[in-house]
Amino acid sequence: MNYMGSLLFSLAWRNLWRNRRRTLVILFAIVLGVWAMIFTAAFMRGMSQQVLEDTINNLTGHIQIHASQYLDDPVIDHRFQLLDEALFESLNNPQIKQISSRLRVPAVIASERESTGLIMVGIDPENESGISFLEDSIVEGRYLTDPGDSGIIIGRKLAERLETRLGKRIVLMSQDKDNKITDRGFRIVGLFDTQLEALEKGFVFTGLETSEELLGIKGEVSEISILLYDINQVDVIAAELQQQNPQLDVKTWSQLEPVSKLIVDLYENFHLIWHLIVFLAMGFGIVNTLLMSVFERTREFGLFQSLGLKPGFIMGQVWVESVLLLSIGLLAGNLFAWLSVLATGEGIDVSAFAQGMELAHLSNIIPFVIISKDLILANSVVIILGMLTSLYPAWHASRLVPADAITRV
Amino acid sequence: MASTWRFAWRNIWRQPRRSILTMLAIAFGAALLVFSIGLQLGQYDLMIQNSIRIYHGLIQVQKQGYLDEPKMRSSIANISRLASELRQQTGISAIAARANGFALVSSEMRTYGTMIVGVQPEYEQQVSSLPGVIKDGRYLSSETASEIVIGRSLARNMQLKVGDELTILGSGRDGSVAATIIPVVGIYESGSRELDRNLLQMPLQVFQDVFNMDQHGHAIVVYEKDVKQLETMRHQFQQLVSTYDDLVILSWDEIQPGIRQAIELDYSSGWLMYIVLVAIITFSILNTFLMSVLERTREFGIMLALGYTPFNISRLVMLEVLLLTLLGLAVGTLIGVAINYYFYIYGLTFSGMEEMGKLYNIPATLTPQMSLKSIFLGPAVILVFTLITALYPATRIRKLQPVEAMHSI
Amino acid sequence: MSTVVSCKHVNKIYRQGLIEVRALTDINLDIEAGDFICLSGPSGSGKSTLLNMIGGLDSPTSGEIIVDGQRVDQMNKSALAELRLHKIGFVFQAYNLIPVLTARENVEMVMQMQGDSKDYRKQHSLAILREVGLEGMEDRKPSELSGGQQQRVAVARAIVDKPCLVLADEPTANLDSVNADNLLKLMRDMAEQHEMTFIISTHDPLVMQRAKRLIKLHDGQIVENNKQN
Repeated sequence: MNYMGSLLFSLAWRNLWRNRRRTLVILFAIVLGVWAMIFTAAFMRGMSQQVLEDTINNLTGHIQIHASQYLDDPVIDHRFQLLDEALFESLNNPQIKQISSRLRVPAVIASERESTGLIMVGIDPENESGISFLEDSIVEGRYLTDPGDSGIIIGRKLAERLETRLGKRIVLMSQDKDNKITDRGFRIVGLFDTQLEALEKGFVFTGLETSEELLGIKGEVSEISILLYDINQVDVIAAELQQQNPQLDVKTWSQLEPVSKLIVDLYENFHLIWHLIVFLAMGFGIVNTLLMSVFERTREFGLFQSLGLKPGFIMGQVWVESVLLLSIGLLAGNLFAWLSVLATGEGIDVSAFAQGMELAHLSNIIPFVIISKDLILANSVVIILGMLTSLYPAWHASRLVPADAITRV
Repeated sequence: MASTWRFAWRNIWRQPRRSILTMLAIAFGAALLVFSIGLQLGQYDLMIQNSIRIYHGLIQVQKQGYLDEPKMRSSIANISRLASELRQQTGISAIAARANGFALVSSEMRTYGTMIVGVQPEYEQQVSSLPGVIKDGRYLSSETASEIVIGRSLARNMQLKVGDELTILGSGRDGSVAATIIPVVGIYESGSRELDRNLLQMPLQVFQDVFNMDQHGHAIVVYEKDVKQLETMRHQFQQLVSTYDDLVILSWDEIQPGIRQAIELDYSSGWLMYIVLVAIITFSILNTFLMSVLERTREFGIMLALGYTPFNISRLVMLEVLLLTLLGLAVGTLIGVAINYYFYIYGLTFSGMEEMGKLYNIPATLTPQMSLKSIFLGPAVILVFTLITALYPATRIRKLQPVEAMHSI
Repeated sequence: MSTVVSCKHVNKIYRQGLIEVRALTDINLDIEAGDFICLSGPSGSGKSTLLNMIGGLDSPTSGEIIVDGQRVDQMNKSALAELRLHKIGFVFQAYNLIPVLTARENVEMVMQMQGDSKDYRKQHSLAILREVGLEGMEDRKPSELSGGQQQRVAVARAIVDKPCLVLADEPTANLDSVNADNLLKLMRDMAEQHEMTFIISTHDPLVMQRAKRLIKLHDGQIVENNKQN
């Protein structure tokens, strides 16, 4: 029915522009709606990616392995052999991108004037590089050089709190493997600065071997953090690792940080809800505008029928008109949303709300991120629901009785 | 003027379908705004209430600078006496003095560094909900009893139970060693991670003895349920402590800026969405207003010929818009209020709420706020937007020429 | 000569709220192929109603209407559309044309519906527009044509695919007498050249003069049915 199709299309197109002002008004509403959908989606996507990224960067990684009681009671007692053969074997997996092992225990830090409780993390600097925020966040001094490095890196806020600075010495106290209090002096070799205050105040880093020495152990760690090539594989790989190492506790990032997972999920669910709300807001207008143009053209529809065009053709004409309207709106809306996202550049700075953001596990710059999945969802909501909604005015047009329609002036 | 109203009313019902669709769009917007704003405000109330109720109080008296740098030396002398003076002068009994310190706390097995707070048990129960959430054992019995209560998470990590003894090792206000052995009499569970993991409470006088505090303390906490009293109370207390050097009155949101910022961030991003939504709705109903003017050109011509002024006609059109909008708003607001009332009675909960609640320190059930503000703020914004929109068609009427208008179709 | 239209005991009653209006009472009528008929009568006599029912735009309350051997009163919507498309052409008093289409597109639209090829459509529509005297105006929109010219486009469209029956409802009502006469001449020429049956409802005396047969209606009944020269 090609000839019908082209007639339908050209009639619909010309009718669309018959009342230019009215079409432009409703088009503006649709463009605004589509823009709002996609721009908001980009914002939410940016937020949730940021949450995810921060979560993974903040020492979590994609997967963590601990001794079975460690998560409940994160102390030195719950450690495991790093060079265990089965473990070594199972970590030799092509899907695993990077591995960092850490000693991670509660400790007390004391400067000359102040002291506070925090977590001491012993790391192998080379393996740790890239898996967590640390190396990129050094703002003063240097990163650790090797596992035997006896310097310590502390947060900038912590340094302020302890009234100490780069190059000064501090004392760390912790419990060794025999539950005896042990302590050691460290020189501050680096200061790090992150957007999350809790991290800056709550963690210090030293070489893995140095921390082993302090705690009196060798070749044992409390945590292995794993980065995969593909985050979507996380559940599968975690299950495999758990199966291969039943004595250990393998957890994914979402199990370790349920709040982050929850936030990511909430954003995910909110996408569709928001799209539906926006569509409803413009849907009433679309239907009303189409109905107006249908009732204005009553006589014309009568004429079509008298010329032998079937009701289906008339319905189709109005429907195609509405689909054209939606398509133009979608095109322009997508374009404007894309331009808006470009205009925001790196993202928006919300550091005015820094402590509030931290409650929501967020850092201070939120980027706008457009991904194809979100685009498809927003556009599908508009086009599918739009097509369904347009059936109502189209059906009205086809239902007009010819004799009535023609004689009506 | 009654007749003008009647005239406008009848004009609305000349196109019942169109008017109803327009009304539905407005009603949808109103219901949505009433519901979301009610829920938002309700959630904020809970967050504020909880933050005040659980530990921090509505206002606190502290030494200047203590908030930013909580050093032991920044203390208030004769704090118990000051607290009791304040109680007498204001007639408020929910006023309690506290002293804060940091120490290494050891059980038989474990050592942790945590916050220790000296409290006045009798008054502490009036300013904080913590004494009410003792799950094992009991709360502190008197200001001089040598005993301590501890959070659930910390107790588990330290493998402590009621009746066990704790060793406290820290430094006193003068830098001397502070040490004591003290029995655990109660374990509390507040639901707040920070408090449950990182806080011990002991009687104020015992604290002052152990930490060589003399009669000093760090904060006087004042509790008041009604947040609206904040400014009055702040002012009142300001006056009362003006004779002391260096004392400041801090409000709940200065002590916990994160909560206020999270609220502000949520509120402003919420409003961005509402404004966009209202703009979409107004644009999608602009056509209705426009058409009801354009299609009545001939009628307006006759009215002009009969001696109406363009102003009279514009007013009629504005009145029609106003009536239609008010009708929509009434329906929408009623629906919104009905939904909110339902959740007000039964509470609203969704999966993940519990973790979210812990994060923001609120219960797992949300209750919408039922206040004039929460009900009428949203509809008022819609009304303003639609009336501005209606100005456009109304101005077109001014350009009408009677003869021309009468001859148009 | 064969019968193109046949009405048997046709009645039409309109209901408007509580009021019943008898628009047509017991109409019996046979119309033969090639006839050029004037249906006259004062307004409200039932002319348009009868015409609409023959064209299947309206259905009788009772009775039979047969067009080209088919029972129009028993057809469904899409069969009626099919019938109108292939067998019947319409010309109305006004607003005959689709305003967003040009003169040629208006004519071609009907051909397009019948599946005629593009080349044929173009050739044929240009030819028929020339025939009705609109050469050079093919690409004008209806709003750029005079009332008479618009009606000529309508006639061109009505006959372009050679229907056996053309129904015209007051086609000259909005025209001055010169244009009206020209249009009638055109219709009669077309009827003769293309061997089509025309039924024209009117109360214009000019039309009555040009008709081969004159049927007069009064209060919904046929009061006169005469052959003229």
